[in-house]
Amino acid sequence: MTIFQLEKRIVWVALVFVLLLFGFAALAINTFHIGLPTCLTSVKPFTKGELITHSPTHYELHYVARMWRFEPPEVTVPAGSTVDIYLSSADVTHGLILLGTDLNLMAVPGVVNYTRVKFAKPRSYQLLCHEYCGTGHDRMAATLRVVDAASFHPQASAPEPKIQTDPRYKLLEAKECMSCHSITAEADLAPSFKGIYGRTEKMTDGSVITVDDVYLREAILDPDHKIVDGYDDLMPEPVLTDEEVEQIIQYLKTLK
Amino acid sequence: MTAMEQPNEDSIQIEAGLRRMILIELIFPVVLLVLGIYHGMMQVLYRAGILHRTQVLGIEYFQGLTLHGVVNAIVFTTFFAVAFGYAIVRFYLRRPLNMKVAWLSFTLMVVGTLLAAAAILSGQATVLYTFYPPLRAHPAFYVGLVLVVVGSWVAFLNWLPPYFAWKREHPGGKMPLAVVGIFATFIVWIIATVPVAIEILFLLIPWSMGWVPTVNVPLARMLFWFFGHPLVYFWLLPAYVMYYTMLPKLAGGKLYSDFAGRLTFLWLVVFSAPVGIHHQFTEPGISDTWKFVHAFFTMLVAVPSFATAFTMAASMEHGARQKGGRGLFGWWKKLPYLDKDRWLFSYLFSGLVIFIFGGVTGIINASYNLDTVVHNTSWLPAHFHQTVAGPVFLSFIGMSLFLSATLTGKPIKFPGWNVWVPYLWTIGIMIFSTGGFISGAAGEPRRTNLGLTYSNPQSPLYHADWQFSRICTTIGGILMTIAALIFFVVFFATLFGRATRRGGLELIVSEPYHDESVPAVQGFTPWLIGAALLLVIAYAPPITQTIRSGFPGAPAYSPANPLPVSGSPKQP
Repeated sequence: MTIFQLEKRIVWVALVFVLLLFGFAALAINTFHIGLPTCLTSVKPFTKGELITHSPTHYELHYVARMWRFEPPEVTVPAGSTVDIYLSSADVTHGLILLGTDLNLMAVPGVVNYTRVKFAKPRSYQLLCHEYCGTGHDRMAATLRVVDAASFHPQASAPEPKIQTDPRYKLLEAKECMSCHSITAEADLAPSFKGIYGRTEKMTDGSVITVDDVYLREAILDPDHKIVDGYDDLMPEPVLTDEEVEQIIQYLKTLK
Repeated sequence: MTAMEQPNEDSIQIEAGLRRMILIELIFPVVLLVLGIYHGMMQVLYRAGILHRTQVLGIEYFQGLTLHGVVNAIVFTTFFAVAFGYAIVRFYLRRPLNMKVAWLSFTLMVVGTLLAAAAILSGQATVLYTFYPPLRAHPAFYVGLVLVVVGSWVAFLNWLPPYFAWKREHPGGKMPLAVVGIFATFIVWIIATVPVAIEILFLLIPWSMGWVPTVNVPLARMLFWFFGHPLVYFWLLPAYVMYYTMLPKLAGGKLYSDFAGRLTFLWLVVFSAPVGIHHQFTEPGISDTWKFVHAFFTMLVAVPSFATAFTMAASMEHGARQKGGRGLFGWWKKLPYLDKDRWLFSYLFSGLVIFIFGGVTGIINASYNLDTVVHNTSWLPAHFHQTVAGPVFLSFIGMSLFLSATLTGKPIKFPGWNVWVPYLWTIGIMIFSTGGFISGAAGEPRRTNLGLTYSNPQSPLYHADWQFSRICTTIGGILMTIAALIFFVVFFATLFGRATRRGGLELIVSEPYHDESVPAVQGFTPWLIGAALLLVIAYAPPITQTIRSGFPGAPAYSPANPLPVSGSPKQP
């Protein structure tokens, strides 16, 4: 049985066309070296985000994606440097997209992702999470600055703010309080800790309270009871000893 | 009286039980679709920054997004495919079906849907319709999905006896094209759902119940995408069945090539599954070699879509020329765009137009290195709304209305409005997707409540450069919602209307223009062997690698808490 000429042509034209498109993709790999993130099974997942300097033009950047922030949140590298980016997840699946570039990685629990980027010119980049990772996903973002090589000071790339060395801050971090709260004045998923003690807050039920020891203790141990107006009832009941609750309250008093 | 109210030669009388079941299987998901469309509209409002909130009416943003995906893309499509399959098998093979098995399939699917819906509505399954671990849903969500899938398998098993009986009685006869199409649909569905059933039954349910402490996330993701891509062909194939067997007749002509139809269906059986890693191009744990192999097979799966586009254009041209269409392009004027008696044409034709753009952007996504520009940005929903919310959605709602009206013998209410529904939807989706393509290429993330931050001028993360796309998606989304509302009014007004004639099972049957019996496309067997072979080549090595690599497992997390669900060990 013969097939009508045009019917055959339909199939051949379609086949040749898509193979041509595929040829372009292969060409781009060979001529422009545009590849994909590489699989790395030899590198074990890590939980510490850091910038490691190999040479003034070669850096290794370890990003940890966790609910709901990237570590380190701010990184500075000099223009003209090559950066090996490693990405690990500390909890659920996240994504990382560096806006304005084609750097696009998934952070999959259990595996480390890797890609290499060369930053030619000074520019401030925003990177953000592009995979749903829970309640705070919508604000999971970080900054990567490429500065002029002349004005780059290596020590400035990872300033450890003084406040973070306080063991009570470490406790808040370990209990994941800092996933939603912050110690800056920035609007967040939950009320800021900055100047919280003694502040008057309007509640969703219309009442107005002044933040004192009694309120803080109640808000920590029974977070569903009273919600500050403008926020949602999101906070899970934390697992804390009486002593830890007291430590946290004393620490919050110091945050003016 | 319109032509549709006349007794139709393509109408047969069927058993009351089967008629009732097909009707419920069509109406039930359309009712749920009201919920799914509502949450689609809410997505647009949140993301445009019209709402700066985490929830509306007690349903949280991601909970609504989960409902939108599960209802529209999984429940509606599966119910429709089963109902449409029953209609085709009964209509073309002319044999009664086993009603006990049919009601078993129906019950499994309804119970499964209700379980999953209860889990989502109670806020315990806010994991989106891709349910990536280690975000954990209530076990009822996973069990519900399994029941829906198993119910659809049972339906397919029910069609096998009439299929083989027909073959016995017609030795050497050509199986009707629509039957080949719907069987291809469900073979693709079986290929797709086996890996996801393994993921859910062996990885997710034991872990979600707390029987095992951790889950292998890379393996779960690979099994999910083994399912995820053939899933989209499970959605598209019933639309293709309508294109090949109904659109030519509606256009006033014949199907240009019966061979192209058979080749398309069989080709999709082979190539729809060994391509899933193209969804995982930016992931670790999979070697570039296998990413490249899957990119190659993905290109091959585009071949039948191109062939379909050419064949449909040729078939419509044939129809238009029968009606006096002339010239190289002049014949386009002779198609029944607004013909109320052939209103189904507007649904199928609009879907084809949208699919041109959905297909082209799909090739971009699959083109290996181009994917890094658009992966997980708003480009993606813009693309797949032009496929699943384009040809799939329009043909499915159109056929749901057509079958419901003809089975009950009721005339279409508001026919003048009805014929405009798909055009309004098309305008809406083109505007919506244009916005998504533009800001997606600039990195705007999908699956994100942009209204809280990136679309909130009060937030330090505000992006003014995505403003244009927000306007587009809002206008487009609202137009789509209006089109859907008109459809719901037409659909339910028709069902609540009075019957004007005896109902029957009716399908539109196009004759082929070129009707060769090419031996290579007469049976499934060689193509099934090819499919099995390619699946082994494409998936055996990467799955083995993923299992052997010994990736550390992940404990369960609830979306609202950065600490693992109590009882789970803390990640090392």
